[in-house]
Amino acid sequence: MQNILATMLQTDPYKTSQPLYAGNNSIWRTMSDALHESIYRVLSLLISILPGILAFLVALALLSLVGLALSALLRRVLAAAKFDDRLAHSRGNSGWALSTSPTALIVRAAFWACVLLGLIIGVSAFDASYATAAALPSSLLPYLARVVGAAFLLIAGNLSARFLARSVLIGAVNMQLQYARFLSLGIKWLVLVLTGAMVLDHLQIGGNVVALAFGILFGGIVLTLALAVGLGSRDLVSRSLESHAEHSSEQSAKSPAVPTTGPDESIHHF
Amino acid sequence: MTEDPIPAIAAPSAPPGAGLLVLLAAMTPEPLEHVLASLTAAFPAEDMLIAMQNAPPADSYPSLRIVTAPAANPSWTLTAADFVNAYQLAEMNDSSAILMLGPSSSSLDSAALRDLASAVLTTSIDLAVPFYELPPRAGLVNSAILYPLTRALFASPVRFPLAVHLGLSRRMAQSLASSAHRFTASNQAEMPIWPVNEAMMAGFTVDQFEVGPHVQSQQTGLDLKTILPQVTGALFADIDAKAAFWQRFRPSPPTRHAVSKPTLQTPTVDAAAEIASMVYAFRLAYTNLQEVWSLVLPPSSLLALKRLSAIDSAAFRMSDSLWVRIVYDFLLAYRLRTINRGHLLGALIPLYLAWVASHINITASGTDPESHIEAVAAAFEADKTYLVSRWRWPDRFNP
Repeated sequence: MQNILATMLQTDPYKTSQPLYAGNNSIWRTMSDALHESIYRVLSLLISILPGILAFLVALALLSLVGLALSALLRRVLAAAKFDDRLAHSRGNSGWALSTSPTALIVRAAFWACVLLGLIIGVSAFDASYATAAALPSSLLPYLARVVGAAFLLIAGNLSARFLARSVLIGAVNMQLQYARFLSLGIKWLVLVLTGAMVLDHLQIGGNVVALAFGILFGGIVLTLALAVGLGSRDLVSRSLESHAEHSSEQSAKSPAVPTTGPDESIHHF
Repeated sequence: MTEDPIPAIAAPSAPPGAGLLVLLAAMTPEPLEHVLASLTAAFPAEDMLIAMQNAPPADSYPSLRIVTAPAANPSWTLTAADFVNAYQLAEMNDSSAILMLGPSSSSLDSAALRDLASAVLTTSIDLAVPFYELPPRAGLVNSAILYPLTRALFASPVRFPLAVHLGLSRRMAQSLASSAHRFTASNQAEMPIWPVNEAMMAGFTVDQFEVGPHVQSQQTGLDLKTILPQVTGALFADIDAKAAFWQRFRPSPPTRHAVSKPTLQTPTVDAAAEIASMVYAFRLAYTNLQEVWSLVLPPSSLLALKRLSAIDSAAFRMSDSLWVRIVYDFLLAYRLRTINRGHLLGALIPLYLAWVASHINITASGTDPESHIEAVAAAFEADKTYLVSRWRWPDRFNP
């Protein structure tokens, strides 16, 4: 047995070097070819879309410059025409409720309209350039569009989460709920988890795992909130019932025929 | 030549030439009967035209001329739609003055109605505003925010700037209808209008008349969490729109002297419980709303609030200067849209409750309630420069 193993482990450099060299040569050649082809494909794609990118940048820069010039011109013309004063006079000096002046608003609108126009022109030029290069095998650019969409989703979800969390926090504090912050945090994370799941789904990452994880997380948060609110509200409900019962008994104890005397001690906000 | 912004409505079937137009809020038959009796006792029926939404049948009150007013949503205060309707009816019936009677007008007697209407009918007064006799712990939103802010910024001595009963001259009604039309045109017909601010800006004559006690209607279901943001938001928006007017220096109106005698009022068990509840609400807000308040209030105010949150409810006192800064800073944040306006006004509620608790404690210690309210109003006037400075240079001036 030991002899067999020794024979198997024994190497003869002369005997094995020749076919191995031939195999390595073939692998290296194949790898080199694949690399060259890949580099060629990527470079071809870049070269084909480079005019589109340049057109996008030029259109954006040019229209931004036009916007700057137009806004400067508008500012001068409106200032010379005393547009703000005329508008205020025509609206009875009380119509404008924004912190910015009408002139500033028009100037900004003109500038951003030009920038938007530049973006549209640039994107359409890029789109045309990409269409000509579409024959090249690439899945990067369509995926970039998804990434942009996912980024918008993420921003919108984040803003919604913050808005809702603050709404719930202020509402719960004004209702004198002790667990106001906890409730607000729960709502915030509910929206953030939902947003995260939507983003991953939009990016086609994770597949069914994301949906499953989202369901578990969402359900968990809802259950936690329900338990917390239910347990936390126990005292609140009992206090409310007690005060209601006391109020009812006081009302029944009071004789309707006897008018109240002295100053009104109760607090009226209005 | 601009087009008349007030749209035409169908003319009611009443003979023209009534000197006084009385616009009545919708009400149930019992109080309506009381109001009509008071009106009949105050004015000759032939000089008066009454307009109301749910007008009774013509044979119910044969001596009175009653027409149906255009429909408007019922509200606890006078709204933009009410002012537009009032001016249209006055134009159509060639009325020289208008008496607007909002909800709970049955609490006004005939003498009060006569005072309000006669002022705009027979004298040069353009706006007659009632001075209500309220219990010491009533009308607190008005005492804390509306009155001192209106007095400081518009130099108006009117104690109840959001009164629901008004006497208007024809030109005052026209001015108010023009302002109100902006809201009705933008589908905000239920917005409260600020007649005193309009009158001060237009340079019209304003006077107030004692009308006795005022009983708030119980049917409206006034909820602090809803009404305070609504009223404060409407006033802040009006102040924002009239910034060019109130930033100019104007002499303050003469200080009103309190009529009631100061008495030592120990809080009853109910009042003490209410104070404790309000202080608790403030403390809860202090622990939870710091991130919101820190966006609006400067560090000095936050520090003062921190100290306040540690005080026992029986000794709870908020200084007038702190309350003034809080209101001014919230007004500035409303103007600059530092945070969502709904959130901003919601975050003001616990601070207002803290002021109420402090006010009740101060009055319970022997200070006359009206004297304290006048002191608060004086503090608002004294600190107006802070508001003007930060309004003009919000980024440069932040102590």
